[in-house]
Amino acid sequence: MSRVKDHVPVLLMGGLLIVYGLIVQTGILLPMMKYLQTHKSMDLQMTLTLIVGGIAIAGALVNSVKEPGNSIIDRFFLQPLGGIVLILVMAMAIRWYLEPLVEIMSEALQPLLGFGIYKVLNLNYVVLGILAGVLLTNTWGIPKFAEAGVKCARFVLKMGVIMLGARYSFAELAKLGVYSVWLVGFFVLGTVFLVLWLGNLFKQPKSMTGVLSAGMGVCGVSATVAVAPVVKAKSAEMAYTIGTILSFGIICMFVFPTIGHMAGMNPVQFGAWAGTGILNSAQVAAAALAFNAVDIKTLKVAEIFNITRVLFLPIIVLVLATWFGKESGHKLSFKSVVIDKFPIFILGFLLLFGMSSAGMFSPPSHYKGKYIDVSYNDRTQVTNEEWVTLSKAMAAGEFSALTPEQLAAVKNLIEQRQIAGNYAERNDKKAFDKVGRARMTELEGVLAAAKAKELTLSSDVKGAIKHAIKQVHKKSKTIVTLTDFMIWFFAFGLIGLGMQITKKAITQAGGWPIVMGVIAGITKAALSFFVVLWLVKDVVLN
Amino acid sequence: MSDEKEKKVIIETGDAGKGTSELAEGANTDELEERALSVFSSERNEDITALVFCLITTFFVLLFTKWMV
Repeated sequence: MSRVKDHVPVLLMGGLLIVYGLIVQTGILLPMMKYLQTHKSMDLQMTLTLIVGGIAIAGALVNSVKEPGNSIIDRFFLQPLGGIVLILVMAMAIRWYLEPLVEIMSEALQPLLGFGIYKVLNLNYVVLGILAGVLLTNTWGIPKFAEAGVKCARFVLKMGVIMLGARYSFAELAKLGVYSVWLVGFFVLGTVFLVLWLGNLFKQPKSMTGVLSAGMGVCGVSATVAVAPVVKAKSAEMAYTIGTILSFGIICMFVFPTIGHMAGMNPVQFGAWAGTGILNSAQVAAAALAFNAVDIKTLKVAEIFNITRVLFLPIIVLVLATWFGKESGHKLSFKSVVIDKFPIFILGFLLLFGMSSAGMFSPPSHYKGKYIDVSYNDRTQVTNEEWVTLSKAMAAGEFSALTPEQLAAVKNLIEQRQIAGNYAERNDKKAFDKVGRARMTELEGVLAAAKAKELTLSSDVKGAIKHAIKQVHKKSKTIVTLTDFMIWFFAFGLIGLGMQITKKAITQAGGWPIVMGVIAGITKAALSFFVVLWLVKDVVLN
Repeated sequence: MSDEKEKKVIIETGDAGKGTSELAEGANTDELEERALSVFSSERNEDITALVFCLITTFFVLLFTKWMV
């Protein structure tokens, strides 16, 4: 009887999940889901809750009647079941309710603050998951029935890291300007080695130094999550690193545009500096827009540098895996460093990165599954109504304030009914793509100028141009699905890791990560400032 | 004498590792702490299992979103 009592919480959670799944099935929750913008996941919500609920009840019933054993099923399923279900319930609550609510509240506060808290503080499922875990463990504590399940967190996080490899492609890196690759490569590797040296200087644990170096060098939160298992970072060290990166990024987001204006940087120079010096993608975009909301070039250049930095992640993972193996190993032979100590799961990450680069999931030149396709396709065209709107606006002279290039792009959109290259060049894919992409950039410039009130366009015309741009931005279904798996693996892993962060663990890490992060961040920002001023003129986009 | 030989150290493994654990002083505490926080007995097993699960997932995702579409 006492054994049944132990499993009551799991039975309850399973029952509640099934009830929730059935309620979703009736469609009663649809208005609320539409408000939260989670209605697209309605089928997933129903399926996932019914399956997890069913497994939870079945597992809890087996646990209630069966003596605990040491078989594989006992160790990996029956014993950790309570914790797995608890973390999954928390992950569902965060993905379907907390994260959308934070986003809505952030949008409501945007006019008051001038920026979106959700994007700037990176309050997505990653940070919310860790915070939820930390909150639970430091208030009520981890319930007894869930203790064993929390131990699955690191394993599931590793699965997320493997899946992360699918989102990057070497072809995208090769396509970027040689200039930006060299510049960013120098600063990424420079920052990584600077943090590793600082860690040695301040006698910090290798795991802390390793995870902070990736976070400060590459792309903030995702780099931290990817490298943490490689250098065996403790949960508190990960939390410290993410906290350091985000707070440093917020300061940079406000300071960079002011310094850029004071130094008289041009849009290309500022874009290059922000993309190199600021770590979080959303913060890079916010700084670029704060510097210059009209000239689309600033944001474009910043994005190019930001993407280049992010694409260095696989290289940095390799570098740090080798460094950590070398640092913790006694022998320094190639075998002991690269073969014995090299984390096997990173081979999975590299395998998926290779498959993605080879074009197995989407055209190779994608970035996070998104790619631009300006080839002729009925589905890429604007609607008949939109075409009529644009034609009428052209006849009425609504586009007279546009630059000659922008005007040519709009005329061509009306002529071809979609963003595309020149019809005569349709067999030369490279030339066709280049012209098509240039036209898309000009149309983006039209929208930016309209947004900055430099020209007046009716909302129908803006809507038609926006739709034409959206039509050539394609998404790979395979990478979107793999990313969904990655998100769930990360959400599960990070909630579990959050549960391992006790107040004591935070105190033990001390304030050194912040000191090291600030030194490395300021050095990188200052050095890249001078290098960009000295080297970058207007050549990046070419 | 034997007390000296078997000096213990306490490591913090959080609630997930059931609070603290007492270990021999010479033990590799980092390794033990990591295992205390995992359901797998070795890192190799953990990594290989994660890799196999992911490859199976990728195969099915490719099957349903690319090859069979």
